Amino acid sequence: MVKKRFTPEVLSVSERLRSFGEVVLGYDYETSVREASRCLRCPLWFAPCSKACPLKVKVPAFLEYIVKGDLEAAARKVYEDNLFPSITGRVCPQEWFCEGNCVVSKIGESVSVGLLERYVGDYARENGLDEKILAEMVSKNSGVKGRVAVVGSGPAGLSVAGWLRLRGYEVVVYEALHRPGGVLAYGIPEFRLPRSVLDHELKKIENLGVEIRLNHVVGKTVLLSELTSEYDAVFIGSGAGTPKLLDVPGVDLNNIYTANEFLTRVNLMRAHLFPEWDTPINVGKTTVIIGGGNTAMDAARVALRLGSKPVVVYRRDREDMLKTARRDEVLHAEEEGVEFKYYLQPVEFIGDENGFVKAVKFEVMEPLNELDQRGKKKIVGTGRYVEIPADAVVIAIGLEPNRVLMEESGLRFNEDGTIAVDDHLMTSLPGVFAGGDAIRGESTVVEAMADGKRAAEEIDLYVRRKKELA
Amino acid sequence: MKEDLNDQDYYLEVEAPHVTKHWKPGQFVIIMTHEKGERVPLSVATINGGRVGMFIKKLGKTSVELYREFRVGSSLYAVSGPLGKPLKLEDYGTVVLASDAVCGHAEQLGLAQELAKLGNKVISIQTFKTEKEVYPEKYLTTKYADEHYITTLDGTAGYKGHYIDLLRELVARREVKAVFAGGALASLKKLAEATAGLDAKVYALVRTIMVDGTGMCGSCRVRYNGVIAYACRDGPWFDARLVDWDDVLRRDARFKKIEKIALEKYLAR
Ligand SMILES: Cc1cc2nc3c(=O)[nH]c(=O)nc-3n(C[C@H](O)[C@H](O)[C@H](O)COP(=O)(O)OP(=O)(O)OC[C@H]3O[C@@H](n4cnc5c(N)ncnc54)[C@H](O)[C@@H]3O)c2cc1C
Ligand SMILES: Cc1cc2nc3c(=O)[nH]c(=O)nc-3n(C[C@H](O)[C@H](O)[C@H](O)COP(=O)(O)OP(=O)(O)OC[C@H]3O[C@@H](n4cnc5c(N)ncnc54)[C@H](O)[C@@H]3O)c2cc1C
Ligand code: SF4
Ligand code: SF4
Ligand code: FES
Repeated sequence: MVKKRFTPEVLSVSERLRSFGEVVLGYDYETSVREASRCLRCPLWFAPCSKACPLKVKVPAFLEYIVKGDLEAAARKVYEDNLFPSITGRVCPQEWFCEGNCVVSKIGESVSVGLLERYVGDYARENGLDEKILAEMVSKNSGVKGRVAVVGSGPAGLSVAGWLRLRGYEVVVYEALHRPGGVLAYGIPEFRLPRSVLDHELKKIENLGVEIRLNHVVGKTVLLSELTSEYDAVFIGSGAGTPKLLDVPGVDLNNIYTANEFLTRVNLMRAHLFPEWDTPINVGKTTVIIGGGNTAMDAARVALRLGSKPVVVYRRDREDMLKTARRDEVLHAEEEGVEFKYYLQPVEFIGDENGFVKAVKFEVMEPLNELDQRGKKKIVGTGRYVEIPADAVVIAIGLEPNRVLMEESGLRFNEDGTIAVDDHLMTSLPGVFAGGDAIRGESTVVEAMADGKRAAEEIDLYVRRKKELA
Repeated sequence: MKEDLNDQDYYLEVEAPHVTKHWKPGQFVIIMTHEKGERVPLSVATINGGRVGMFIKKLGKTSVELYREFRVGSSLYAVSGPLGKPLKLEDYGTVVLASDAVCGHAEQLGLAQELAKLGNKVISIQTFKTEKEVYPEKYLTTKYADEHYITTLDGTAGYKGHYIDLLRELVARREVKAVFAGGALASLKKLAEATAGLDAKVYALVRTIMVDGTGMCGSCRVRYNGVIAYACRDGPWFDARLVDWDDVLRRDARFKKIEKIALEKYLAR
């Protein structure tokens, strides 16, 4: 058997620096068949890849169809569990889920499940098969079983909306912004998830009969109480919300951005095309990015494409960084020339006479021989300091839930600010369900989608029971 | 509907029933002219059934484009809101409303009506540079306030001076229990200093640079009472004396240079 995986085409580094074009170009037909042939076809009851996938995609079954050359059957198999293979295939941290558990990894490199799923998803999309498959799935349900309101159009909201439509519900999605997609639209850059792909996936859900009402902030434009009285059930997929800032001197200086602001200005508002698009952004020669997760990688690679030199500064080491960032993105950032510095913790931002940042002062950290709860090495300060010049800074140290939008809703929250739910994903308000980052804090696209899928099932049960009792 | 307020500011009214339904004084809207537009926060001056009326200053690319290219029948790409926290208003007694620029004048209309309804004695001060800039009467708070003053910096109409000068005189003679002020940020900084020892509530509209307007990005952040607050979510109205105005003024200038480029490019088209 072939121990090494087949690598996909990628855009050359010089090409990448000049554009926001997609970096990984994916497999062609022959390579996908060869890669799929590396799968040992574990029986489904055992297949660790499928078990580790939050959506429980039947991996060996769809890979088998690829090997047979029946891509339509492969797509049908994937769609049984996952409505967005073109998205998950691109953004899932596969090394933590499907691929991380593949048995082939014991003797070689795991099967590239993500790239294969993407290939199948893209094939279906490019050949109109996705709409056909969905139309067949939805036609199995006749009559309207009920009406459900969804708050937020990120992966969780899109997923619950899709699965509820397939179960015969009318669904209206309320989205605060002028464009749907959540983090997929404003956070993840188009060199990882092209706009055309996202647009198609959104259209697909709308064509299924889901209505998306943009510019509607639930809690402001419409109240949660109005939704609960107008609909049979409500799902909240409002995401993780608000960026965390560092509590160190100088953090208010100009050109210090949160990652959300930096990425939103570019991904959603297209500031890289200023002034043809109206929203501005400032970078300079050097952009220092503080953090080590996906958000930091994205901000660094965006800065690079804006013509600035990115320096990612992380307070731990590379090994720990790979526990928070998707491996491929770290590798791409490294090959694109993003500079990485480890074991540095910011202690002060230094400004010029106009109030713009000009440098960041860091304390040098060192690891202890002890692990914290998340399996990362504990670190301590050494009392030594270094300064790194910066024309702009992006703080990418995480998010906390934005509960203010729901302040007067009567929802119960956990101590960390996430929305409290029971085993059925129901919140403290009857008939109001929640999922995705809103209940998990920062997690992943595929987990948000899996919550949406499960919530659709729970909502279906709840509404049917409610109607039987009535 | 669109109408000139003076040679820089104009009134614009748009259909947005989803916004008017729950709007309360203190809350704002965000509009986008077209798909490529910026998300621009604006105060709400009037609510007419399902229509939102705004006062807009011809300042940069968006506000100039909106003035030149949008007429009755055009539609905006997006209107979102109401955003921000509604003000928790009460019967304070004697209240002063003060403004010296477009957003402040806009906010005053709704505030004057609401505060009067609650039983307050409302004193309104509206400052303009010269007589020529004074808005038409129907866009002033004249009929809603118990006392209404126009001040002009050059003295060509009403009281000669700034609202801060008149406010100083008023508080020396009268028991003012609350002040609500909007407009130029530099004046609000002075207001906070001028009212430092005053036994009254002093609220200011903190106008910061926003993107989403929902608390998601942190662009609008201000130092408030020593900690970071988001103007779009925790404001935009704050206790003026707890705001770090130097921080607000500095952050307001962060895109000045490149915004100028956008306007020049647009005007050259
Ligand atoms: C920069 C970045 C890169 C990432 N990269 C990856 C990756 O490579 N792989 C991965 O798996 N995960 C990644 N993640 C994490 C992943 O994006 C999130 O876990 C996922 O998007 C959560 O989905 P969600 O639907 O719960 O929330 P979100 O995607 O946050 O969507 C929430 C939506 O709800 C809307 N909303 C919020 N409040 C309201 C309201 N009151 N009314 C109406 N609408 C509202 C918001 O505007 C938003 O559109 C990344 C995150 C970021 C920030
Ligand atoms: C809560 C609030 C209420 C406001 N009310 C009004 C109002 O009633 N009438 C009015 O004319 N203006 C109001 N503004 C300011 C208005 O948003 C800006 O004047 C507008 O964005 C200018 O856009 P522009 O393209 O015309 O000018 P630009 O050239 O883009 O900007 C000129 C200046 O406007 C400010 N500004 C720019 N972009 C933004 C942004 N995205 N968010 C906030 N400020 C920005 C900055 O000070 C900038 O230097 C308000 C702002 C806030 C935050
Ligand atoms: S959805 Fe994500 S985790 Fe699941 S099989 Fe596909 S790529 Fe792997
Ligand atoms: S674990 Fe690996 S080998 Fe087994 S079915 Fe999954 S992909 Fe194939
Ligand atoms: S404008 Fe983005 S958080 Fe306030």
